[in-house]
Amino acid sequence: MKGEMGTVVLLIRENPRDDPHPEKNEELKGLAKAAGYKVKGLISQRRGRDGKFQLGRGKIEEAMAFGPEKLVFYNPLSPGQVYNISKEFDIPVIDRFNLILEIFASRASSKEAHLQVELAQLSYRAPFVKVMESLQKLSERPGYGGSGSYDISMYRDIKARIAKIKSELKGVEDRGERRRQRRKDLGFDLVALAGYTNAGKSTLFNTLAKEGVSSKDQPFTTLSPTTRALDVKGRRLLLTDTVGFISDLPLFLIKAFRSTLAEIVEADLVLLVSDLSDPAPILREKLVACHEVLWDCGNYAPIVTVFNKADRLSEEEISTRIETVLDLAPSPVTISAKNDQGLGDLIDLVLEKLPPLETFEIRLSTSEDGMGRLSRIYEVAEVLEVDYGEEIVALVKGRPDSIFWALKHPDSNLSFLEGV
Amino acid sequence: MDVVAVDISGRHSVDGAYIMVCASVSVRISPEKIEKTCGVRLVPKTAPSPDLDVVVDLINSATKGFPGVVVAEKGDFYNMERWRAESILGREMKYPESLGERRAIELAHHISFAGRNMLLDLEMPL
Repeated sequence: MKGEMGTVVLLIRENPRDDPHPEKNEELKGLAKAAGYKVKGLISQRRGRDGKFQLGRGKIEEAMAFGPEKLVFYNPLSPGQVYNISKEFDIPVIDRFNLILEIFASRASSKEAHLQVELAQLSYRAPFVKVMESLQKLSERPGYGGSGSYDISMYRDIKARIAKIKSELKGVEDRGERRRQRRKDLGFDLVALAGYTNAGKSTLFNTLAKEGVSSKDQPFTTLSPTTRALDVKGRRLLLTDTVGFISDLPLFLIKAFRSTLAEIVEADLVLLVSDLSDPAPILREKLVACHEVLWDCGNYAPIVTVFNKADRLSEEEISTRIETVLDLAPSPVTISAKNDQGLGDLIDLVLEKLPPLETFEIRLSTSEDGMGRLSRIYEVAEVLEVDYGEEIVALVKGRPDSIFWALKHPDSNLSFLEGV
Repeated sequence: MDVVAVDISGRHSVDGAYIMVCASVSVRISPEKIEKTCGVRLVPKTAPSPDLDVVVDLINSATKGFPGVVVAEKGDFYNMERWRAESILGREMKYPESLGERRAIELAHHISFAGRNMLLDLEMPL
């Protein structure tokens, strides 16, 4: 993590018709700190959106009195608002999405993550650049007698770079898809950890996989997915830790991280981790945000809701809190990843929710080809019984798609496969 | 949980009139999927404008008799706050939160869209 980035004042506008959301203040503070900023103050206002400055001019003047190096808005800023504020108050200004992108940029370690962050940044900047160009063109025409023209190649350059990154990421996505298919073929069940940022996904990942990936009490510790193999009661799983969700995630950010989110969408089971120590309304809002992102990603995998950090609450508080979000919590289970509490229940639930293994009787010829296939079967499934007679008869238990993959041969029609 | 998901197709002007079809599906949902579809209803209506009164009447006719909370996209109620939409509708309603509720609305959307197309193809009087 890089060091101090400078001082900021945070500004939040709340719609007077909506209920107050004090947790937004804490979330924005957390994001600013995670990005490496020192927060000098926080100003909030309940009013309708100001077309020119987002908040009232007085509030921005109040923020400027703190002497910050940058202003950070919770609400999304339009290109015009960024232009107006930075021109009128002579200060750099960013909104929450930009702040998230700064965090992502500081933590991106793989080539894929760098490309995703760059794509998100360019997608975000493109409309701004377009508006800035048109605003500049409004004031004057360059050249003698105004007959010249501005260099408007920047917008075009951005668009060209976006197209290039998208094609590179398509390659990454395709490779990821082939990798996941190959893993499924090899008999692994894919389990993905998903959930709101700072819910404890990496801690749970470390506990289950006995690993040491970075897990801290801060948002967006994990950016690139990490996968580890587990053997759970004889079942081979691949557990993947993924990037955390956040509310009001813009679509361009979801699109940019599509290859990462594909780890969730293509999993056999999703563990939706939530922080049970959050107050009930916040817990609910975060779960709603998670459902929204899962919907936007097109997730159809079964979900197990893992209520983490249960060690911070009493038994009574746990049951009351879960009661308030039951309509948003498929197959709930309570755990504390830090204290290894409830992990047995979680593992039992995971095994129950995964697609069941099936038993097949396979007949193979006693040839070199038949022995080769049997050898592949041993790699992907559990061989319960083998009888070497005139032909090889094997009783195997495993994922149907893996067994089909192991037996796949251009000349075979798989007619020798019988379900038991 | 029993809900009635609604969706209206045709909130755009065709020759100066709004040919709308409201679909409601009475479903039993879990947090992540639809468990059972108990009933479906299509209500067509042609109106000079898609006013809130027209939309509310349409939704009321489509959901009448179906048990459970009405679930609708925020846009169907012109992004109105939930409490306001609920008091105008006169029964319990909410905007979708869980995957199950979103899937129910998706189902209603497909039904209203296909139903409207079918009625237009058949040139039935709306």
